[in-house]
Amino acid sequence: MTGQATTAGDGPARQLWPLARRAGQAALVPALAIFTALILGAILIWLTTGSLATALAAYGGLWEGALGSPRALAGTLVRSTPYIFTGLAVALAFKCGLFNIGAEGQLALGAVCAAWVGYRFQMPGLLHVPLTILAGIAGGFLWGMVPGILKARTGAHEVITTIMMNYLALQIVQILLSGPLKDPRSVASQTPALAPTSWLPMLIPSLQLHSGVLLAVLVAIAVWWFLGRTIWGFELRTVGVNPAAARYAGMSVARNVVGAMALSGALAGLAGVVEVAGVALDVTTVTPTGNRYFGLGFSSGYGFDSIAVALLGRGNPFGVIGAALLFGGLRAGATRMQFNTQVPGEIISVIQALILLLIAADVIVRRLYRLRAATADEAQPALTSGWGEKVA
Amino acid sequence: MERFVKRREFLALSLAATLSATLAACGAATPTATPPAAGGAAGSTGGKKLKVGLVTDVGSVNDKSFNQSSYEGIVRAQKELGSEIKYVETKDAKDYSKNIDQFVQEKYDVIVTVGFAIGEATLAAAKASPSIKFIGVDQFIASGAELPNLAGLTFEEDKAGYLAGALAAMVTKTKNLGGVFATDTVPPVWRFGEGYRAGIKATDPSVQIQIIYHSDVGLDKTFTDPAWGKATALAMFDKGADIVFGGGGNTGNGALAGAAERKDKGVLCIGVDTDQYETVTEAQPVILTSAIKLLTPGVFNLVKAVQDNAFKSGNVVGDVGLAPFHQQESKVTAEMKARIDKLTADLKSGAVKTGVPPVKP
Repeated sequence: MTGQATTAGDGPARQLWPLARRAGQAALVPALAIFTALILGAILIWLTTGSLATALAAYGGLWEGALGSPRALAGTLVRSTPYIFTGLAVALAFKCGLFNIGAEGQLALGAVCAAWVGYRFQMPGLLHVPLTILAGIAGGFLWGMVPGILKARTGAHEVITTIMMNYLALQIVQILLSGPLKDPRSVASQTPALAPTSWLPMLIPSLQLHSGVLLAVLVAIAVWWFLGRTIWGFELRTVGVNPAAARYAGMSVARNVVGAMALSGALAGLAGVVEVAGVALDVTTVTPTGNRYFGLGFSSGYGFDSIAVALLGRGNPFGVIGAALLFGGLRAGATRMQFNTQVPGEIISVIQALILLLIAADVIVRRLYRLRAATADEAQPALTSGWGEKVA
Repeated sequence: MERFVKRREFLALSLAATLSATLAACGAATPTATPPAAGGAAGSTGGKKLKVGLVTDVGSVNDKSFNQSSYEGIVRAQKELGSEIKYVETKDAKDYSKNIDQFVQEKYDVIVTVGFAIGEATLAAAKASPSIKFIGVDQFIASGAELPNLAGLTFEEDKAGYLAGALAAMVTKTKNLGGVFATDTVPPVWRFGEGYRAGIKATDPSVQIQIIYHSDVGLDKTFTDPAWGKATALAMFDKGADIVFGGGGNTGNGALAGAAERKDKGVLCIGVDTDQYETVTEAQPVILTSAIKLLTPGVFNLVKAVQDNAFKSGNVVGDVGLAPFHQQESKVTAEMKARIDKLTADLKSGAVKTGVPPVKP
């Protein structure tokens, strides 16, 4: 992750050197955290299986399953895509000093809205795809806005409200899927199949690689531009760093809190869109393109893992892409790892948890590798913000 | 019947995505209908050690339920046939095909897939790889979808329910028996319930029967309502029942928990699918037995059939029976055991019929 930053050459590249150096420094702690977590994971496998060779083979399998072939790589990209969106969602809220734990619920709402537009309407693809995406954005946006309003109006802490709203969202989705939106021809709780015109176009059909990954990168760039290059982004970050100063400067803290939560929800909603309109289910020889629909139990934790993704990416949109690729790769490679070595798949969860732990308590990493303490520049506002303060 | 809960949830995604079909079609590495086909290759697998792979349903191989019982089937193949075995646990229903494909790519001889929900992915993989034998546990193969290399292992729940009913009718003191089931709209659950009813009637017509299906709620609630299961079981005990059979995911488990609550009153309960003495631990003091599907021998026998070149494709009916009596051993006399053993054999041979149709008429 840091490697590319240190390979500055001569000529024009020289001007990029300071920039690369800064990126390298920012990525240093996360990279060391990943490295440490992988070492600890290897030791764990070593201890439980009694063989160092198994530990090494497990990582070999992980690599092979995540990056070893074009198909493996496509699988990694597909699994990274929702992580990019949910990671961006959490990261954007961080920048405003908010800890959005509700990505899972926002994702579910986005997915169900996108699915509804996808199956309910018939129209040309040129119109249908954007509308499906917009529906998902809208679902997440509105759902994310609620905890923002609660925070701004009543001081209810977003950590609590977003956790509660996850449950609400999952129950609402369950009601919708077993009643109003249920496919009457199916015994399962799922929507009817989305019209093919609403599917995200395929980049490489034979590898099931859909274009959601391109959308994710574009959105990451947009988020970076929004936060760093627009006045709204500046306000949002100012509120995150120091709400009192922001208020003194004439910025509306309440509006920024509500806006940040809503945008965060919209990003999580996009993760729902790519999972519903991008990932093919029911691929068989008869239906090589598969179907797309939304059913119960489909998310499998992309929203919950997103907190780790955002922290690992240090809240930086490009950092989030890197972290999402790592998490997507771990998810994609786990099968091969287990196939090759019969190591429990849970080892992946352990490694992810270790990464999160080492990032959250980065003192451990700094001590371990004798790095200097974090500068104010690198400190993360979200983890130090207070509880229950009314911001309106 | 934890199975059904999963089934319902993951049906939603069933037939999970992917690659295997498409890739098998375009990949040059795939054996394109290798000539030494089915019957012709007789003897070729005779002495050879089989490579047997297993893909679980969402869950793990130590779930004390379907996945574990199936896995124990291939472990037995490893011990008795010297098979080389390997498993992959499914963590996300979208990965069914990908997980099966791991074994396809390595040209395994037999691939066992566990659960109803992974059925479509299994069908697709079997179609794409005719040289590999597939065993689908709990997967009924519809007519028209048969393949020469695919066997679906299913079980006759009505016979298991019948045995449970017969035993309960022998053991009951109050001549009053209860049954708490998740739904009558999902055939396996209904068959357990009606088999139970038939078993009681045939054994002791004087026994009063209280059977209730939780069909008053949607399919989403019906398997996940332990509070209802418990309340219903308690109501049955209040009305004089001394044994209750609980079936259907957590709803059924709720009935077992209800019996556990009355353990001082001498009531008993009967579990379902696998030996629930292992899974509903709080009910251990009151579990008489469980009406079980014999997955381990079912899977093993199919693997052995491949080894012996006697593989039969299509629907294969596995055996059912009753789980050990554990703490209630003393309540079941030698005479009762003999009658149950005879009934088990007679049901298998067809000498005794349950009279329960495959689906609710």
